[in-house]
Amino acid sequence: MANHAGIEINSVNLKNLLMSKTMYIAYGLLLFALVGVIDVFYERYFLLSATAFDAGLAPGSRDVAEAMKEAVFGTGGEVKREAPWSLYIVNYMYMIYVGSGIIFLVAFAELLDIKLIKKTAAGFLTLGLAMIIAGLFTIMMDLNILHLHQMFLSPRFTSGMWLMMPLYMVYIPLVMFEIYLILAHKDSWVKKIAVLILILSLLVEFVEFYVQAKLFDMNSARHLWTTYPFLTLYFMVSSFVSSAAVMMLYTYLTYRNTDRSKCRDLMSLIQKVTLYSVIALGAYEATAYLFIDKKWAEIILFGDFKFYFYAYLAMAVGIPFALLFKDLPHNGYKILASVFIIVGTYLGKMIFVYGGNAYPMSDRFGVGFEKYTEYEPIKEVIFFMPPVGEIAIVVGSLGIIVLLYKVTDAFLSVSKMREH
Amino acid sequence: MNFAMALDYQSCIDCKACEVACKEENGVQLGADKQRIWVTQSEKSIFGEPFVALHPSQCNHCQDAPCVDVCPTGSSYFALGGIVMANKDTCILCKGCMEACPYDARFVDDTHVAVDKCTFCYDTRIVNGEMTTACQATCPTKVRLFGDLDDEEGELIQMLNKRKFYVLKEEEGTVPKLFYMLPEHDKNYAMNSVNPDTNIYTWDEFKPIIEMAKEKRKPRWQTMQE
Repeated sequence: MANHAGIEINSVNLKNLLMSKTMYIAYGLLLFALVGVIDVFYERYFLLSATAFDAGLAPGSRDVAEAMKEAVFGTGGEVKREAPWSLYIVNYMYMIYVGSGIIFLVAFAELLDIKLIKKTAAGFLTLGLAMIIAGLFTIMMDLNILHLHQMFLSPRFTSGMWLMMPLYMVYIPLVMFEIYLILAHKDSWVKKIAVLILILSLLVEFVEFYVQAKLFDMNSARHLWTTYPFLTLYFMVSSFVSSAAVMMLYTYLTYRNTDRSKCRDLMSLIQKVTLYSVIALGAYEATAYLFIDKKWAEIILFGDFKFYFYAYLAMAVGIPFALLFKDLPHNGYKILASVFIIVGTYLGKMIFVYGGNAYPMSDRFGVGFEKYTEYEPIKEVIFFMPPVGEIAIVVGSLGIIVLLYKVTDAFLSVSKMREH
Repeated sequence: MNFAMALDYQSCIDCKACEVACKEENGVQLGADKQRIWVTQSEKSIFGEPFVALHPSQCNHCQDAPCVDVCPTGSSYFALGGIVMANKDTCILCKGCMEACPYDARFVDDTHVAVDKCTFCYDTRIVNGEMTTACQATCPTKVRLFGDLDDEEGELIQMLNKRKFYVLKEEEGTVPKLFYMLPEHDKNYAMNSVNPDTNIYTWDEFKPIIEMAKEKRKPRWQTMQE
């Protein structure tokens, strides 16, 4: 073990680390990411697509003929005109919000001087940060990676995306610094600054949720998003529910064998946070649809999305409420509730994104829905299954979380309970 | 200059000559889903008889375009005369503009991995001083009429002064500049191709709305030199 800048760094046998069970899980998941990246790159940059000029410029070309055939009978490219945002955005939202939610809850608990959270804060923060990085990986794959430098060469600072950019530049280093402060607990001056850092990080958290909401609110055409009442609040509440569930599952997986009594106490504490968050989310969902644009409310509550919506409510609110209402001694109920919440809230994000696109913009004349292409029937609700590459990237993003957490933990023992 | 277009959509016969002309002139990606302009079909049944409303459509070149605001790189911008453009070289494909557009007028051009849309033939005609678009020039039934809203003597204003019209999704507040001319001499067609809640305007009524939005946005319009 070596000591650098107040932090103890473990000397790690790389072979043991790289060949550990957790890392094998990470490799398996990252393999999905690799397949996804190759698929997306092939589809985006190597698949032949023809323009009206090509046939004239290269008459008789086999490649042009293939590309023309693809244009008419193919899937119509990677992005559908009527549903531009899909699973990438769902995963980005989920990872970023849940990661931020964990960081928010930990920072808040530290300010309130909750000892159990303070002991485990480094691990929670590392997990939260890993989720944020996984979210950023997902969104990067959604963009035209070869043009990303244009964000800096030709910036328009008032756009929603640009509001996010400087925030991440402050936010990620700030959280890393916070982890450093926790790990370097021997220095007394660090503790004094910690309060300031915590207040600052809470402020940045608030701003982050506000800006995320602003990003959706700027899409004036998608009224599901623009009519959600207090979108910032919704993002915060729904994030806290999933964040608390992830924290509960993490606590069980990390501390179940090392420190049983503290594990039980910590799970009981998080159970309360989860329960209150679930109640808040339930209360929000019960009232929000009174304000949401009736076209969207109708298809989500009573139309094509109803099964998904009620499944989301059951998994994210109903079942966890029943399982967590009493602090039962057996951890199995809490684990079950966590899994339901994690899956349920992911479904909730899918409904939010896909639902926003679902009511087609194609009724522009108000006299009925229009055909989008010659080869499709008129549709009242737009829903496309995401391509395989997109699904693989989303699955692969979990590998990033496992990899980052495991490597950080191996060197810095972030999961170790610390005495303050 | 403030470019706009009037559409006498009742005359549309869905021959798709405009779509072909647009693709040919602007080198648009091939594919049924890859259209800068298109003709929509809304099907209805009236007393058991089928009725199809044909509405030629494209980017509305909104005076207060939301797609311009959401773009993080300035790839979406106002060119000369308030024409809404999409620069493929600076587009990072965030698709925010596609989400923000109430008319679904944008699509992804896979050949450039960037968003594409109608430009009123800006690069091929407007910069050369021409005052027609490829779709207008090729239309056999003269559905489209492109022109300058600031030219009181121009054909476009003459037509808008003569006939009533409506715009799409007015409630979005985007102040679109595609003017759909109310069908004349055929009340039945007008009844079935226009939503009863749609506001019908004369040019005198709509002009102040256009002027107000122009005032707000004009400082961001590019000139020919830019």
